[in-house]
Amino acid sequence: MKKGLKIFLIIAAVGLVTGLSTVYYVFNKPHRDVAGELPSFTLEAKAFYDEYNNNEEASNQKFGDKVIQVSGEIVELTKNDYQVSIVLNDAMEGVSCALDSLTIDENKSLISELKINDKITLKGKCDGFDMIMGIVLTRCFIVKEK
Amino acid sequence: MKLKYTLLILFIGCLFSSYAQKHITKTGVIEIYSQTPLFTIEGENKKVASILNVANGEVVASTLIRSFKFEEALVEEHFNENYLEPHLYPKAIFKGKIMDFQNIDFSKDGTYNIVIEGKLTIHGETNYVKEKGTLSIKKGVISAKTEFSVSLKAYKVRIEESYKKAIKDDILLKIHFNYKLYSK
Repeated sequence: MKKGLKIFLIIAAVGLVTGLSTVYYVFNKPHRDVAGELPSFTLEAKAFYDEYNNNEEASNQKFGDKVIQVSGEIVELTKNDYQVSIVLNDAMEGVSCALDSLTIDENKSLISELKINDKITLKGKCDGFDMIMGIVLTRCFIVKEK
Repeated sequence: MKLKYTLLILFIGCLFSSYAQKHITKTGVIEIYSQTPLFTIEGENKKVASILNVANGEVVASTLIRSFKFEEALVEEHFNENYLEPHLYPKAIFKGKIMDFQNIDFSKDGTYNIVIEGKLTIHGETNYVKEKGTLSIKKGVISAKTEFSVSLKAYKVRIEESYKKAIKDDILLKIHFNYKLYSK
């Protein structure tokens, strides 16, 4: 009888730990690791915009929610308390990129030196196409030339 | 051919006359908030675009659903895959007007209580909205703020029975824009 109770307690304890760790994992599931993910496509900002502008629906299927690496000239730069946002190629016909807070913390000096007309390569998640912003990428990371 | 030129001239004319009156932002912010005793949801979208035309009070605002970010990855996943379905309805768009915009003197510093009305489209559903907000002008820079709730039912966003107690039907949105003069 004592042995039976022991086994029951062990099973109960194992079950409890498994259950709790599953709940813990589900609630603390990490965010998608854009920095560590290889880009699905590597493109120039202009070519990327042209393809999207040509067929938005097909491009949403192709690029939507994927990690895209894009290079281009900076035409707009917004730095404020809320965010760092970089527009590539053209103010109205471009790629609008919101930097991830991790890359902002890691590249403070680099970001403070960025200027209009600089060339930059960014990697981020493609959210889609907006009539005012053009292509929108979020969780963007600065890609350094090797 | 003649018609084409006339149209072109008209078009260029429109561009010139409206340029100085348009204010734009591509870095507007929407905060999304829901709280029940079971669960608090807090999210944020920093990629909201808007154009305000001070000549006629017209406001357009748009954003992409996938640009909403949440503290918990799981919430973000549910928001996208189960509720807002951005693969089907990628955008949220507002088109409307500031009522009584004639009473606003955009050339002077000041703060105004405003009422905006128009059509809000989320999840492929369009509803008429009329909400209060504030607009302030400081050294020619216009910023606008509004706070209102949207009903999930009104936009046909379905929540599973098992989550209904954790997520309210009314979701609070806090929106703020800092406009810049549109110039090209």
